Amino acid sequence: MTPVSYDIELTGVYKSYPLGKSRIPIFEDLTMTIPDGDFLAIMGPSGSGKSTILNLIGGIDTVDGGHVSIGGTMLDKMSTRALTRWRSEVIGFVFQFYNLMPMLSAAQNVELPLLLTDLSASERRERVHTILDIVGLADRHDHLPSLLSGGQQQRVGIARAIASDPRILLCDEPTGDLDRKSADEILELLQLLNTKLGKTIIMVTHDESSTRVAKRTVILDKGRFVSEEIAQCA
Amino acid sequence: MFGFIRQSLALSGANLRSLPRRAWISLSMVLSVTLVVLVLLGFLAMANGFRKTLSSTGSADVAMVLSRGAFSEALSRIGTQQAHLIEEAPGIARTAEGAPLISRELVVPVDAVAQDSGKNETLSLRGVTATGLALRPKLAISAGRMMTPGTDEIVVGARLAAKYNDLNLGDTISFGRSQWKVVGHFTAGGSVFESELLADAGLVQAQFNRPNQIQSLRVRLEDPAAFAQFSAYVEDLDLGLLAQTEQAFYAAQASDISRIILFLGWPLAIVMAIGAAVGAMTTMYSSVSDRMVEIATVRALGFSRSAAFVATLVEALALTLIGCAIGVALAWIGLDGWSASTKSGANAQLAFQLALSWPQALSAVVLALGIGAIGGGLPALRATRVPLRAAMTGRA
Repeated sequence: MTPVSYDIELTGVYKSYPLGKSRIPIFEDLTMTIPDGDFLAIMGPSGSGKSTILNLIGGIDTVDGGHVSIGGTMLDKMSTRALTRWRSEVIGFVFQFYNLMPMLSAAQNVELPLLLTDLSASERRERVHTILDIVGLADRHDHLPSLLSGGQQQRVGIARAIASDPRILLCDEPTGDLDRKSADEILELLQLLNTKLGKTIIMVTHDESSTRVAKRTVILDKGRFVSEEIAQCA
Repeated sequence: MFGFIRQSLALSGANLRSLPRRAWISLSMVLSVTLVVLVLLGFLAMANGFRKTLSSTGSADVAMVLSRGAFSEALSRIGTQQAHLIEEAPGIARTAEGAPLISRELVVPVDAVAQDSGKNETLSLRGVTATGLALRPKLAISAGRMMTPGTDEIVVGARLAAKYNDLNLGDTISFGRSQWKVVGHFTAGGSVFESELLADAGLVQAQFNRPNQIQSLRVRLEDPAAFAQFSAYVEDLDLGLLAQTEQAFYAAQASDISRIILFLGWPLAIVMAIGAAVGAMTTMYSSVSDRMVEIATVRALGFSRSAAFVATLVEALALTLIGCAIGVALAWIGLDGWSASTKSGANAQLAFQLALSWPQALSAVVLALGIGAIGGGLPALRATRVPLRAAMTGRA
């Protein structure tokens, strides 16, 4: 069987948001391609549309015009239910503030996306154990998020994002709430997921030093790409 | 399907575990449901207790004859000649000597001082004959002895003895100018007779200046089936009298007063329930707002809208059921068996015990679930419409 390629293509995307009685356009004709296996960092000032790109690719927001296609699947043609199911299989999210369920342990948080699969309870437990081991938290299974440091919480967030083995990771300021040391550890982990496991990673960041782990960095301003930089030794 | 159940269980569990974050507002929702349930069960227990007391009074093979249109014995008048004619009716059980088993009775209102309030309250003093006592098979002396016919002795219903002054064994109590000696306390199977004082009918007529006055006739029938011919005979006499079985007489009284209690109770409980539902809605909107980022996050992970709906509804129903359980428990501990009294048809005190039953508890559970469903329904819909972008912008 030919492996499916999850190239991401945004074609002629128009997107606007309401402001009072009028609408403010974010993108008027955005076209871009992110090849399968890429590690793309997106930088730019606030309001430039960085997070909107993640929302459109992740299927948690829809285009007003144009198309978003991932691995040949047209997101703008899918029903809400189909999009929800697709998202659970293809996309993993890493949030700036981790977004862990505070009342669930690290293992339970990681298990959440696995509840959407057909895995048995024992298979889920085994998968959670393996993934927490990968992110370096094998000994923090039963800890509540409040008992973990910021860096550790983000590792749990990454473990949750990769639990169901999605092809694409969307990271919204993944180091924005961390100290430098923790941020570096998270960036190395993301780089590992990209290089060793082949995950496509799209990372929105304000931190220029974070872009060193990316293969490409684009700068967005007012809904347009103003520059692109390809890393020499990513 | 299993996926949906797994999702719903996971989100419901997470919701319930996050309740301590919303402890006070959740507690207020629980307490408001508890209050509604307590009020509802209070009324239901009152109506049920009253009905139980009256329905345990009377038997199918004892007929009562009263003036037509008199809904209580106090409003009935039967002449001596009329009583003689009734004695000839068919279907009446008779002694070996052929004497009809019939009791001419009257009820006189008398005042006694209540121990708790120190105020006079009106009680019923019933004048009965020896036959009248025989017509009440549940009547049993619980302390002392039965009164002696033709003397100024009285026996006191067990429910009154502890509540009024001068009704202990050996006491003498004054009713107007007459003096009566308390020689016994009696029970009567929880029936309405336990709210009465019994004395010799002739002496009651004499002491209260009511010569030959009869208010009701109690008649032992040969069997319950004999009531039809007895009743037809009374009708044919055309004396303005009406015969009914003792059971039917008290059942009608129970039904009327229970209906009045429920007529007041249900609307009050429903109005309170509407208030509680609005309170529940506020609580649940607050819960959805509190969990906005969490809901958006799990939805972004791929959890369905319906799982988010169910989880919010489960939280609402769980809180209302906790409130309901507390309300039922408090009602059972505090209200079941609690003694109460009201005015009977003769304007005298009628003591009864509040009685709860499982069907009533079920009514409370249904009402609580209604509060939960209404209070949680709209917020649960709101939970399904949480914008997923919230996951990207907020702190969980």
